[in-house]
Amino acid sequence: MDNSIVISTPPHVKSKRTTRGIMLDVLIALFPAAVAGIVFFGVPALIIELTAILACVATEFVYYFIANKGFSNKCKDAGNVCLRWWKQFDLTSVVTGLILALILPATAKWYEVLIGSIFGIAIVKMLFGGTGKNLVNPAATARVFMFLSFALTTYTAANIPALDFTSGIFTDATNLHWLLGADGNPYSKITVLDLFLGTGVAGCIGETCKVTILFGYIYLSVRKVIKWWQPLLFIGVFGFVAVFMSGFTYIATGGYIFNMELFLPHIFSGGVLFGAVFMFTDYVTSPKGVWGQVVYYVVAAVLIAVLRYFTKLEVTSFVIMLLNLFVPLIDRYIISRPFGYKKEKTQKEGK
Amino acid sequence: MKAVSGKYYFGGIHPKGQKSLASSSPLEVMPAVEKVAVSVLQSLGKPAIPCVEVGQAVKEGEIIAKADGAISSNVFASVAGVVESIAEDIGASGAAETFITIKSNGSGEKFTFPALGDPTPEEIKQRVCDCGIVGLGGAGFPTAVKVSPKTPVSALIVNGAECEPYLTCDHRLMVEKTDEIARGARLLAKALGVEQIIIGIETNKPDAIAAFEPYEDIKVVKLRKQYPMGGEKQLIYVTTGRKVGLGKLPADVGVVVQNVATCYAVCEAVELGKPLYERVLTVSGKAVAQPKNLWVKVGTPVSAIIDYCGGESSAPKKAVLGGPMTGVAIANYDQYTHKTTSAVLLLDEKEAAAKEPTPCLNCGMCADVCPMHLMPMNTAFYSAAGDYETAAKMGNVAYCIECGACEYICPAKRPLIQAIRKTKAELRKKGDK
Repeated sequence: MDNSIVISTPPHVKSKRTTRGIMLDVLIALFPAAVAGIVFFGVPALIIELTAILACVATEFVYYFIANKGFSNKCKDAGNVCLRWWKQFDLTSVVTGLILALILPATAKWYEVLIGSIFGIAIVKMLFGGTGKNLVNPAATARVFMFLSFALTTYTAANIPALDFTSGIFTDATNLHWLLGADGNPYSKITVLDLFLGTGVAGCIGETCKVTILFGYIYLSVRKVIKWWQPLLFIGVFGFVAVFMSGFTYIATGGYIFNMELFLPHIFSGGVLFGAVFMFTDYVTSPKGVWGQVVYYVVAAVLIAVLRYFTKLEVTSFVIMLLNLFVPLIDRYIISRPFGYKKEKTQKEGK
Repeated sequence: MKAVSGKYYFGGIHPKGQKSLASSSPLEVMPAVEKVAVSVLQSLGKPAIPCVEVGQAVKEGEIIAKADGAISSNVFASVAGVVESIAEDIGASGAAETFITIKSNGSGEKFTFPALGDPTPEEIKQRVCDCGIVGLGGAGFPTAVKVSPKTPVSALIVNGAECEPYLTCDHRLMVEKTDEIARGARLLAKALGVEQIIIGIETNKPDAIAAFEPYEDIKVVKLRKQYPMGGEKQLIYVTTGRKVGLGKLPADVGVVVQNVATCYAVCEAVELGKPLYERVLTVSGKAVAQPKNLWVKVGTPVSAIIDYCGGESSAPKKAVLGGPMTGVAIANYDQYTHKTTSAVLLLDEKEAAAKEPTPCLNCGMCADVCPMHLMPMNTAFYSAAGDYETAAKMGNVAYCIECGACEYICPAKRPLIQAIRKTKAELRKKGDK
């Protein structure tokens, strides 16, 4: 018998699932959306996606290299640092990069994407401790950063116009204006099916084609990466609150109408669906317990619906960032109740 | 995705069963070894006090250490021979235990208690106590204590779940010794004064379910293949719907749980007068040449068991006494079986999957699978920072049954059970001061 035998606390068998495997699943789920983005928006979308992914991975690597004294050591140690980095490389930065690219409009310049990616990884993620330690979603925060820094003028909202100008769509307004501005809209020829398929609709690279997002949702649910009820809860609550809010726009023209026909246009427009499937479900920045998650999704849905009504802007990434900051608080105060807990409590009271 | 029928609870995991390795090999009696070392600590609670001297001749089944108090159990010689030494050694758990070493003289002389024909409840209780019977599921709680509950009980639950991967000895026992188990369960029910006997069996053992179906006085409850199904609190919940609270015993909700192997031991103790000095155990894992289900005498060296099963077929990464989810990893084969040793597993590199932990993702999978609905990630987080009180409070560690489901599912391979045990130990230390 050799000495290679290992002793440890139980369990001695473990599941095959790893962080890298989960991130690979997320990438697979994102893949159709990425492809659809390239189909709809052409080469610029491809450039943005590649730039974001490469910039995120490179930033992570450089940060790791510096933090592990790769520069101050001799050359052979630098090789070891690279090897260590590769061993701990869990694809999270690839996911961050791709998500960031998919929530940007195709008109974003490559250098803006580069700066946004570096900000997202270096400042939002790595400075807080890397994988699993970031307070806020790096992709959402990077997008907010870019929105505020570069292009307030062109990024009037998430759903900036499609590049396909031939379809006769005005370029200075958004889907959201059509939905929220009640009557007299110039987009009356856009149907719900158009919104669902993303044909001829303005929007961000990965957010327009809802079919691909649906695929991602089903894939992640089947692989049990996300809980299937989370996006449904979010979308359901969001849809109802949004319909409720948009009813107020009719007051000027004759009274409040709860128009359920707006339910589908609301959930199919903007980045809500994408956020629900890929961004709110981010493990690191969402609550750990089931009841905490319920609170998180309901509050997020209500907040987005209300803010959208008042600002007429795409607010998903703002709300994600904002609510991420409340997650430690939720985790602190919403602790699941252990099995058999209630019984013990009632007995104590009886005494 | 087969075998999804049956009763279940919220939480739990579905690990790869790996039961086919040994499930088809029938029970086999392992020949007596030359020398056994029987620990005096064979149950939960206090170690027994040795009552033999070095050089004394003992028969197989003769008492060699007497129970010390209520939560303790008698220990018996598992071979006929001469007591060679009584000495302290490091046991499998890493703590010091006193071992009584007996060298076999090959005579095979046996000592048995007189058989009881139609025993009264008191006689059954006395016999269970005399024969040193403990819960054979793994925890080793003295059965004598369990059959004398302080509160009235209404049902006896026989645990045939065998939810741990790899283990098949209870399965074989249920198929081959169905009648003895049923008789043992009836004896226990008589001692407890209960009418209802429930046996819970996971649906991955259809032959065992079929074997128990003809018994009219025993209600068979089919359980979904889920880990930890055989945990006492989980089994009580799925079979009766009753919840056992923190610090409560099953008897507090009116039930008593006994393992199938314990029922078999009770049957033998009462009908044949045979004390508990041998048990069934599974030898399995992909690094064992011939996985088997064996009758092994208490105190048999692990090395002898592995040799009997054809030795190693490949280099093992881990050697485990007990199930893979809760068993004890041993550093070498110089260990001896106990009454509670339900398996000897040699796991190869692929099975053991001893991977480096990566950063916690906060994914919450550990909380999702926890059968006690706890939040292990909180315990791990705060205990790593040395704040054991917050760790206990945020993770409710007092409820933890240490089933290992959280660590099994963890994609980051965090050592969660270690963190929980550390927290418990630190709090105990604090409480002692």
